[in-house]
Amino acid sequence: MTTASAHGPHDSPDRELLRRYHVHGDISAREALVERHLPLVRSLARRYAGRGESLEDIEQVGAIGLIKAIDRYELAREVALTTYATPNVVGEIKRHFRDRGWTIRIPRALQELNVKMSGAVERLTVRKGRSPTIAELADELDATPEQVLEAVEAGSAYSPVSLSASPGTEDDLDLMEVIGEVDKEFARTDERASLEPALGELPERERRILRMRFEEGLTQTQIADRVGLSQMHVSRLIRRSLEDMRDTLSR
Amino acid sequence: MTAPPAPHTELVELETPIGREWEPVVRLVLGGVADRLGLGFEELDDLQLAVERLLAEAGAQPSVKLVLELEGDRVRAHVGPLREVMIAAALQGPSEPGELGLRRVLETVVDSFGVDDSADGELFVRLEKRVPPR
Repeated sequence: MTTASAHGPHDSPDRELLRRYHVHGDISAREALVERHLPLVRSLARRYAGRGESLEDIEQVGAIGLIKAIDRYELAREVALTTYATPNVVGEIKRHFRDRGWTIRIPRALQELNVKMSGAVERLTVRKGRSPTIAELADELDATPEQVLEAVEAGSAYSPVSLSASPGTEDDLDLMEVIGEVDKEFARTDERASLEPALGELPERERRILRMRFEEGLTQTQIADRVGLSQMHVSRLIRRSLEDMRDTLSR
Repeated sequence: MTAPPAPHTELVELETPIGREWEPVVRLVLGGVADRLGLGFEELDDLQLAVERLLAEAGAQPSVKLVLELEGDRVRAHVGPLREVMIAAALQGPSEPGELGLRRVLETVVDSFGVDDSADGELFVRLEKRVPPR
C-alpha cells in the first residue's frame, strides 16, 4: 500500500491558494498565502536581528521577498512554496542590508548593549519624565558612557547619510539675508505648513512620523508613544526618511 | 572663527574629512560632549541629526571643522567653513509651501541657528542646543 503525502506540492492548501491567485486573480488568496507564511518570514528575519536594524523592519523587508515569491511562483513548478520562497526572503533581507551599507562587523557585546538600550531609554524616560542623559543610561545598563555611545553608534551605523549630491548654484542669492540671522527662538507654529508635497514617495508610516516631528513639532518620545515604536526606532526612521527624500531629490 | 568665546567656555575642536565613513567620528564627539554637558539622549540625537543634515548639504568639499563651545547649560556647534551659496540656499525660507529642507529640520531639532562669517571671509553655521529645564 502506498500513502500519499497529505500536503505535497500538488495538493497542499498553498497549491489551491496559488491556483486561485494565479489563475483567477483572487487577491484574497494572495493575502492568505502571505498570512500563512509570515511565520517563515519571522523565523528567517530573526537570523538577521542584532545588526542595528529593528526586527520589525527586517520582517517587513522579508515580507516583500515573500510577496515577490508568491507573485513569481509558476504553477508548473514541482516545488513547495516554502522551498521557493525561502531564498527569495533571505535574498530580499540581504539586499536590504547591502543597500543600507551595512558592512561593519559589530562586536557581540556592543550588539547586546544596543539591544538593551532601547528598553533602558524607555524605562528611564518614564521614570524621570524626560529623556535620560548618557550617564544615566550608563548607570542603568551597568556600562560606561563610552560604551553607551559606541552601542548607540553600532545601531546607527547601518543607516548612512548620502553626501554625494552637491547643492544648487543660485549665484544671485542675497547672503546678507542669512548671515547672522535666526539667533532667536523660532515662530515655530507660523512656519508649519503642510509637508504633504515633500513626503510623496515615503511609506505611510514614515510620512506620518515626519509630519508629527516636523509639522506638529512632537518629540521623538511623543511620536514613539503614538505609533507604538521605541524612541530609538523613531529616530532611525526619521534619519532614513530624510536620507531617502534627499536621494530622491538628487536623482 | 567667530568672536572669541565668552568666559567659562570650554572648546572642543575637530577637523574631519566629509564622507560617510567619518560620520561616526562626528557623532561620537557630539556624544562625548553631550555626556559632559548632561544633555538628554533625545537632545543629543537632535544635535547629531542637525550636524548630519548640514554635512549632507556640504556637498563636495573635502573637509569641515566642527568647533563645539560648551557654556553652562548649552552647546554651540560651529560647522564650517562651508560654501556660501550652499548655506544661503539651504537656510533661506522654503521656496515651496510644505518643503522639508535643511532650514525646517534645523528649526525643529535645535534651539537656535545662524550663519557667521569669520574675519577671513569663511562662513560657519552655528547650531545651539540647550539642556532642557529639569
